[in-house]
Amino acid sequence: MSRKTTGAALLASAALALTLSGCVADAEDRKAESAPETDCPWTPDESITTTARIAWQAIPNGDAVVKDLGLLEACMPKAKITWVQAASGGDVITYYGADEVDLGLMGSAPAARSASEPVVRDVDIATIWIHDVIGDAESLIVKDAGVTDLAQLKGATIATPFSSTAHYSLLQALAEAGLDPAEDVTVINLDPEKMPAAWQGGEIDAAWVWDPVQSQLLEEGGARLISSSDTAAAGRPTFDVGTVDRTFAAENEDFLTQWAKAQDHAVQLIQDDPATAAESVAVVLGIDPGAAKAQFAGLEFHRASEQAGADYLGGKFAEDLLTTANFLLEQGEVDAVGDAAVYAEHVDAGPASRAAE
Amino acid sequence: MATTTSPRAQAVRARAVRADAVRRQRLRRVPLHVGTFLVLLATWWLLTSLEVVRPLYLPGPGAVWDAFVRANTDHPLSSTSDRIVRGEQNYYLWEHLLASLQRILLGVGAAIAIGIPLGLLMATTWLGTVLEPYLSFVRSLPPLAYIGLLIVWFGIGDTSKIWLLFLAAFPPITMATISGIRGVREDMVNAVLTLGASRRQALTSVMLPATLPEILTGIRVATGFAWTTVVAAEIANGIPGIGGLAYLSGEKLNSALVIACILVIGLAAIALDLGLKYLEKVLVPWRGKA
Repeated sequence: MSRKTTGAALLASAALALTLSGCVADAEDRKAESAPETDCPWTPDESITTTARIAWQAIPNGDAVVKDLGLLEACMPKAKITWVQAASGGDVITYYGADEVDLGLMGSAPAARSASEPVVRDVDIATIWIHDVIGDAESLIVKDAGVTDLAQLKGATIATPFSSTAHYSLLQALAEAGLDPAEDVTVINLDPEKMPAAWQGGEIDAAWVWDPVQSQLLEEGGARLISSSDTAAAGRPTFDVGTVDRTFAAENEDFLTQWAKAQDHAVQLIQDDPATAAESVAVVLGIDPGAAKAQFAGLEFHRASEQAGADYLGGKFAEDLLTTANFLLEQGEVDAVGDAAVYAEHVDAGPASRAAE
Repeated sequence: MATTTSPRAQAVRARAVRADAVRRQRLRRVPLHVGTFLVLLATWWLLTSLEVVRPLYLPGPGAVWDAFVRANTDHPLSSTSDRIVRGEQNYYLWEHLLASLQRILLGVGAAIAIGIPLGLLMATTWLGTVLEPYLSFVRSLPPLAYIGLLIVWFGIGDTSKIWLLFLAAFPPITMATISGIRGVREDMVNAVLTLGASRRQALTSVMLPATLPEILTGIRVATGFAWTTVVAAEIANGIPGIGGLAYLSGEKLNSALVIACILVIGLAAIALDLGLKYLEKVLVPWRGKA
């Protein structure tokens, strides 16, 4: 009997020790042996003591490079930076609404939604950086290789994750081809990882989606019919953008300048040394470096100097946001759309232009 | 034939014979368990090597083992790269498991601390009639449905996850306490009261020990149920966490790692249950005998 009690006491104390030990430390304090010890490419700014919470997504762009190389931590050693992974732009908006993050990466469709009613009442953010212009990274993969024109998809079932840039591109492409998404085709909401199973089971005929599912469907005999680079060329571009809470932005201009400089450096790395950038992306996304490098080809990257100009943050991007918002209104994704000035308010070219200096 | 041994020695000998028989019966079961497990493993290996099921949907035992080893070691990023990566998402698999275990211990601990007194109150006062429908309501909520609300209320840190585990664990414990107290034999309480005990003494020396078997069963059920919700709890910002890792690997179509995580989750559930069964044997040795 006493042996059993000792055993039980040991079990109970082990359980207590486990709970109180907190021995699983923060990821930020732990790095594998050969993680690059990055020095800041310019003089670090010791005066910045901001606490910033950044939401990131598993997208192969400069943000992943900045995270992996620890550029922000190296260039602002006194700042306290935490990274939180979000599954989608919608999640990032939820985090902003719960006051959980100060900066976040999202697509241009969620960004337009956040500047429109009803979300704009709870969330006050501005786009300060264009991580990439989405090209072949999101495309429509069709099962029947004989389909060469979107109009031939009449009566088909097309899957896409709703409220994403892929969804927006799909609806735009359907409108361009003269198809009514409510009548001529069936558009269904499906999480990317569930698409291969539906594809196999013959439940969907096409899907507008990104990697790794896009490559998986291509491997299964699908053919790329049209991509976001085509819809961009038709005047409906989609982007992955960096956003910031506007109150935070007003109080932390120096932090944002350094942040934009780090992002600019990452873009330069992707353009000049894609192998190194691909390694960083591969570590953050948990994929093969070769696959990461291939995915760079599906996105368009721009330096800070280009972004600050009239083609992007300096002017046209606000118009693109308004166009996106109007389209979302037609689809019932937003309740109301403000005028052009409202959207221009939610775009800030300041950090990009300061970084370009 | 008259025996020279005392009744006490006889009793000790009888107990030893019984223990021997139990031990032999348990040992006989070992080949059965091992055999069943090996048959299942062989079937799995056969199905995947014959490609009856596609590797994307069911990877073979070898691939799952590789994913398990990868997740627990510092391994190179790829065959061509020099970069070493620490486990999965910068944590080893056992660290993910430990993080989830910490959350469930806190959640179930809070459920015990609140559920048992609440159950006592509900069984002995008018609160029971009032609160019972609300308790049934909370018990039937699917965790995946309200995790979004919890995140908005409590943020994306550990608090919302522990809240979810608490809400999953607390109804079974409360209901077990209530049913345990209702099951206490009245004559036991009356006997003690007749012998001069106060109401408080009746509660602590009779009612609580008599309810303990049911409470412990309730805790076992609650822990099992809360553990199944660990993936729902760790859907948002779930790293480190075994549920979060399983979810993220699913998104990346890494089926081998998903299965490895599921197996680890299942084994941890068995271990938790065995631990609680052992605790029950220690704290309630009179169960089935009194």
